[in-house]
Amino acid sequence: MIELSEVVKRFGGFTAVDHVTLSVAPGEIHGFLGPNGAGKTTTIRMIAGLLKPNAGRILINSHDLMLDPTAAKRSLGFIPDRPFLYEKLTAEEFLRFHGGLYGLENRDGLSDRISELLELFDIASWRSELIESFSHGMQQRLVMCAAFLHRPAAVVVDEPMVGLDPRGARLVKDFFRRMSRKGMGILMSTHTLEVAQEVCDRISIIHRGRILASGTVADLRALAQSEDHALTPIFLKLTGGEGLQEIHETL
Amino acid sequence: MEINAPFPYLLLPIAYALRNRIKRRERGDLLRLLIFGGIGLFVSAALFAVAFWVTWQALDYEELGEYLVRLSLSWLFLVFLSFLAFSGLVVSLSTFFLSDDLWLLMAAPTTGRRLFYSRFLRTCGQASWMVIAFLLPALLAIGMASCASPLYYVMASVALPSFVVIPVALGCAATLLLVNVFPARRTRDILLLAGLAFTVSLILLVRFLRPEQLFNVRSLPDVTAFFTALESRWTPFLPSFWVGETLFTALHGQVDWLHLGCLTTTAMAFTLLLRIAFDRRYFSGWSKAQEARKARFTRLRWIEQFVRRLPFEPAKRSLLLKDVKVFLRDTTQWSQLLLLLALAFVYLYNFHVLDLSQIPYISGLVKSAYAFLNLTTAAFILAALAVRLVFPAVSIEGAAFWIVRSAPVDMRSFLWIKFWTGLIPTLILAETLTILSNEFMGADPFLKAVSAAAIFFMSFSLVGLAAGMGASYPRYRADNPTQVASSFGGVAYMVLAVLFILTEIVLLAWPTSIYLWHFHRDLSLSPNNLARMITAFSLATIVAVLVFWIPMRRGIRALERSEE
Repeated sequence: MIELSEVVKRFGGFTAVDHVTLSVAPGEIHGFLGPNGAGKTTTIRMIAGLLKPNAGRILINSHDLMLDPTAAKRSLGFIPDRPFLYEKLTAEEFLRFHGGLYGLENRDGLSDRISELLELFDIASWRSELIESFSHGMQQRLVMCAAFLHRPAAVVVDEPMVGLDPRGARLVKDFFRRMSRKGMGILMSTHTLEVAQEVCDRISIIHRGRILASGTVADLRALAQSEDHALTPIFLKLTGGEGLQEIHETL
Repeated sequence: MEINAPFPYLLLPIAYALRNRIKRRERGDLLRLLIFGGIGLFVSAALFAVAFWVTWQALDYEELGEYLVRLSLSWLFLVFLSFLAFSGLVVSLSTFFLSDDLWLLMAAPTTGRRLFYSRFLRTCGQASWMVIAFLLPALLAIGMASCASPLYYVMASVALPSFVVIPVALGCAATLLLVNVFPARRTRDILLLAGLAFTVSLILLVRFLRPEQLFNVRSLPDVTAFFTALESRWTPFLPSFWVGETLFTALHGQVDWLHLGCLTTTAMAFTLLLRIAFDRRYFSGWSKAQEARKARFTRLRWIEQFVRRLPFEPAKRSLLLKDVKVFLRDTTQWSQLLLLLALAFVYLYNFHVLDLSQIPYISGLVKSAYAFLNLTTAAFILAALAVRLVFPAVSIEGAAFWIVRSAPVDMRSFLWIKFWTGLIPTLILAETLTILSNEFMGADPFLKAVSAAAIFFMSFSLVGLAAGMGASYPRYRADNPTQVASSFGGVAYMVLAVLFILTEIVLLAWPTSIYLWHFHRDLSLSPNNLARMITAFSLATIVAVLVFWIPMRRGIRALERSEE
């Protein structure tokens, strides 16, 4: 569904993403982990077509993002970490506009789809309210409605749980699982390792722009030669637990 | 619906937002409408009246009058040509590269062409609305004064959009080039460059026009010589000339197919070429513009060292330093200031070349009137600066205000720092403007002293009023300072500022005129007149102090209350 091969992104002399190769199969939820500044968001923005890679190839649903961006983007849903929303539009107006960007209209069942998603994400009673009156968590739910509106083949999500209450987080996790069972490939970047462990089929860890490890939690455990069941110690071991020692010493 | 549905679809959010804004009224909407609508109507009526009168008078001179109308049209459009190109450059940087909603549109399967056409239309609209608003009453007046046939109005409605498209397309092309060529991390600094370029071109334009020649109106040929000097061998190749000729011919009920053709085909060709350029270079430019968020910056160590030496508490010093650095690193603020400085230069330059001795007998009176006009202008510039820079000072803390609120800093110190940061630059500018313009004009020493003292007090009042009202009517969710300045509080500030300036001018002009009347006749002031003068000057001082003190107190209270 999503395939990256040898993707590179440089900002001046700094290489933020260094020959990253990664693939997300249909029906797979793929966790994308890494310390702050590791290159997760840059990679995700390249997949979403927001940044131009310096080298490498990105395929979405078999469409090359550089050669046929329209077809590639049509197959993708994108949930950014800091989403832009038209604050002076109502939730419904925003979703209608968003649907139109992906070629949906009423005869394609757009109204029903909007109602279905608003119900599902528990914001149906706010459909005629201006987005500026939404809390952060509600805005996050609205962005998810928009990302799944056109029934994409794959979805990339940057930090999906930020701002969500426990009920919202549960709802999102269940929804992701349901979608993956229907064959959707989901690439999810997160710092919440428990969420990654609970939801993801496979995990890739990126550090200093390079993929350090990729596989199931069991694979990562074996690679880190760790006995721990929790993902956190494995993650720290693989990424070198940088800074932790210094923090302990400073304190 | 096909994904390649017509491009206006991408403009729908603007229409939705406008509809929602009209449906849901906010506090002060009516006041804003009345004030802005009133000002707009007044300015349009004045423009119409002046253009009508000038055309009417000019046409009295048979052939010469027609020639003047023709040249004036060409000249009018020439001035707007450079303005539109600059405006296109600045606006397109925002609409094509920095606008937040591009994140949404770029991630969607929006084809480049739809995005281009929708953004270009938006750029043309945003870059030209002011020019169109100015031109419409003027062109209407020229048409009515010349008893033009409906053809003239049809031609105007065809020629104007074409005229707008050409310079705006050039501005967009320049932006595309700059965004692709410049080091990616300095995209926003282009605005500064653009500001500088426009300032220089404006100053050059003023020098080139030598407006002082207009004051040598000893005979009519001088005026025609002035206009003829504006013509060069390149003029016939400029769109301003084409639109001028098209409209002039239409005034006589005929169609100038050649120039109308030049205008429309060039506009279409420029749009097409620009689209091809955007097809090729837009994504790489946009991608680079995103990288610019990690902008290079200057450390401004000298400012840090200077602020450290000021006799303030550490917390106040930190606030001051933060405000100054944020301001200096925001190039968008700078480009606007540069424009203002350019206008101030033109203003001073006019006084420098003004030769009032050509008007015998009344030159003394004219000088005194001009001195007060100077004072009023300086005060209005000060108020405009304050509403743009000082009024939003509290609001632009925005989402980061929690840092100050959770720190052991009292709101009194916070607002006073905002006040001083705003006062120092505005006071220097206002005093320089007033003193230099009076000096260039050779005003009476008493007038010079009164003006300098008055603008000093007025600076405190207008900045205090802005800082205080900005704290009382904050808009923390606004995207930029301009939005804050046009909020209910900002409009209310401008109303109060104008009332204050007019009150001060009346209170100062009356005693000054008493003094000058006696002085020029070598008469001594009677105790009664002296008492009147002292009363008026004292009243002016008291009003200035109150206008400064009350809003500051209210502002501090409002900030303290919001903490409760």
